[in-house]
Amino acid sequence: MRKILCGVLIFTFLFVTGVLQSNAQKEVTYLSLADYTAAIAGLNVPGDMGTEDYFKELNAKGGVDGVKVKFIGVDTRYDVARGVSAYKRYRAEPKLLVANAIGTPIGKAVGPLATKDKIVQLVPGDGEFQANLGRIFVWGPTYQDAFAATVDWLLADWKKKGKTGMPKLGFISWDSAYGKEPLRGGKEYAEKRGVTLAPPEFFPPGTMDHTVYLSRLAKAEVNYIFVGGVDPTPTNVIRDAHKLGLTKTIQFFCDYWGPTSLGVRLHPEALEGTVIVSYYLRGDDARKHPLSNLWVKYGHGKLEDMNEVYTIGMLWAMTFEAGLKIALKEVGYKKLDGEAMYQAYQKLTGLERAGLQGPCAYSPTSRRGSWEVRFYQVRAGKVTSISDWIKAPDAVSLHKF
Amino acid sequence: MRPCGTFDERYSQDMAILRIKRHWGLLIGALILLYLFPLFGSYYFISLVNSLCIGIIIVLGLQIVSGYCGQISFGQAAFMAVGAYTSAILTGKVGLSFFLALPISGIVAGLIGLGGGAPSLRIKGFYLAMATIAIHFVVMWLIPHLDITGKTQGLHPPAPQIGSFTFDSDEKIYYIIVTVMLLMTYGARNMVRTRVGRAFVAIRDNDLAAEVMGIELYRYKLLAFFISCFYAGIAGSLWAHWIQVVHPEQFTLLHALNYIGMLIVGGGGSIPGVFFGVIFLRLLDEGVMFAAPLLASIFPWIGIHPAASMSVSVFGIVLIIFLIYEPRGLAHRWEIFKTSYRLYPFSH
Repeated sequence: MRKILCGVLIFTFLFVTGVLQSNAQKEVTYLSLADYTAAIAGLNVPGDMGTEDYFKELNAKGGVDGVKVKFIGVDTRYDVARGVSAYKRYRAEPKLLVANAIGTPIGKAVGPLATKDKIVQLVPGDGEFQANLGRIFVWGPTYQDAFAATVDWLLADWKKKGKTGMPKLGFISWDSAYGKEPLRGGKEYAEKRGVTLAPPEFFPPGTMDHTVYLSRLAKAEVNYIFVGGVDPTPTNVIRDAHKLGLTKTIQFFCDYWGPTSLGVRLHPEALEGTVIVSYYLRGDDARKHPLSNLWVKYGHGKLEDMNEVYTIGMLWAMTFEAGLKIALKEVGYKKLDGEAMYQAYQKLTGLERAGLQGPCAYSPTSRRGSWEVRFYQVRAGKVTSISDWIKAPDAVSLHKF
Repeated sequence: MRPCGTFDERYSQDMAILRIKRHWGLLIGALILLYLFPLFGSYYFISLVNSLCIGIIIVLGLQIVSGYCGQISFGQAAFMAVGAYTSAILTGKVGLSFFLALPISGIVAGLIGLGGGAPSLRIKGFYLAMATIAIHFVVMWLIPHLDITGKTQGLHPPAPQIGSFTFDSDEKIYYIIVTVMLLMTYGARNMVRTRVGRAFVAIRDNDLAAEVMGIELYRYKLLAFFISCFYAGIAGSLWAHWIQVVHPEQFTLLHALNYIGMLIVGGGGSIPGVFFGVIFLRLLDEGVMFAAPLLASIFPWIGIHPAASMSVSVFGIVLIIFLIYEPRGLAHRWEIFKTSYRLYPFSH
């Protein structure tokens, strides 16, 4: 009994100290509405680990001009109701400046609320937020831009291989708004470049066997297949393609949520040769980056076990830091609010983020986090860089949203 | 058990839900509090009550088909989607008033729900559960493939309107949601006391015996599915106009499981059990959401995401505890409490 009482007292002391400490300092809030336990946890968990660690590091150094960043992570379970509820719960947090709504459906549901509250919202890669300019910013190039860059890449590859005529491209992804997003503009871009697109294949998220969909694409005699979905989905799709023997005759591509080094480790033979279009560093490029040391410093294990998505989390934090710096300079801490942060985000054009991503492209007319993409290929079981940073084409403007 | 000293002298007294003045006082007090809540409640709590009320309507439907009629259904999320989309289409594309679209959404969901009830005469238990899961997948496959539903992009239904007054905020739509919830609860509470309700209970307890007594099994099972889906459709319509975005990914099988979890925790075959289950699990969920960042700030070694993702495990643990220690749910505990309160100071 005495032990329990002591435990309760210690817990209460720590609780009160923690609350008092957090109330005493100048602080701003960054809210992450992330899925830690469902369909896109593979992206969200390492991503938010990166954000959390970067903010810890930043706060340990005194914050941004003395202002510390409070990171709140909520597990939405990819559930819109929970995402909306969490947003409503935390929207009144002192100095909430940015809400990162990870996941297309949650981004769409929270969008109108955050806009009403004049809070900056971040979303993964949906082109509609570039087409309809508002307070919603995309992390990097849009899904359709990355798809268009891949079309350019495959045309060059086709030419390099000395093939005649035009290649045929297959597309397979989740049967969801996210899964179909690359084609909203990407399809128009492929047509513009003369690439024939086979009827796209969509499967429900969580599907374990993709052979039916892949067989249909094979029957359509495609030369290239673009695979969407958050890892491990792309890894599993290409694993099934390998079983069908398709990887020998068809070149596979993945979007920027495609196989991480950890996925490649699971199915190295199947993924061999797969090309990944990415706007952030992958493989050893990511691991060799000095900031990746935070992974080890904050006790997540060995560097070779680091998921590259961890660096995206740091990118969100770095962008926030830069925006906060501008906003503080312009309005000061007292007047700092979502509106000031929104104005600041539009001034981040050209911001360099330690080479982890291309220069920031946010401006009054752009909601893209950057334009540049880089191509990686799985070679000998490793994710290896095969190109420099390349500016992605604008595919968003080709689609009517 | 009646409150001590309360005797029925007339038939109407025997039938009354509220038997004594104190009951009436409590009800009126609660209603006043509920309707005045937006005047002093914070935005978050108003929004929480909205979501609780919608959850209560859905689980009331599930209670009727599963708790009272004994027919397991995993289709509640899909039928909610049917209601949400019907309402969004009728108001957004046809231009119908929300107040007309609301009952129509319930009826459409109910009619589609008859498809769920159709196999219930031939199959039951696990097999019926599988059939309702199949219906969930059929509905949820159709929605993102139809032009009228906006495919995967979803729809943006307008806020309800009366004349020039628009219910475009949580505080305003609160009155609609709460009123509909109260009406649906009243309807459910009364229905289970009617001939229909007793037929449902007879089917649940022993369908062969019920049939021998002259209850048309098929008719009543279909009726239970219709009513259950009607409730889900109404909840879907309210949800759509509250959130103002309807998207296929909002209605997953996980939601359907969650509603069944609420039924288990609350207690089957009890209207108050619905309230207990929904409120308990939603508050537990919100509690974890509230506690996670605090825990992570006090004990940084835990990290944000492990603390935030506790809710799934908490939900699972709570369900297991209830299934082992209180399979009749919180409603049973409530009954025990009420009985002991009424008998006090006597033990029996």
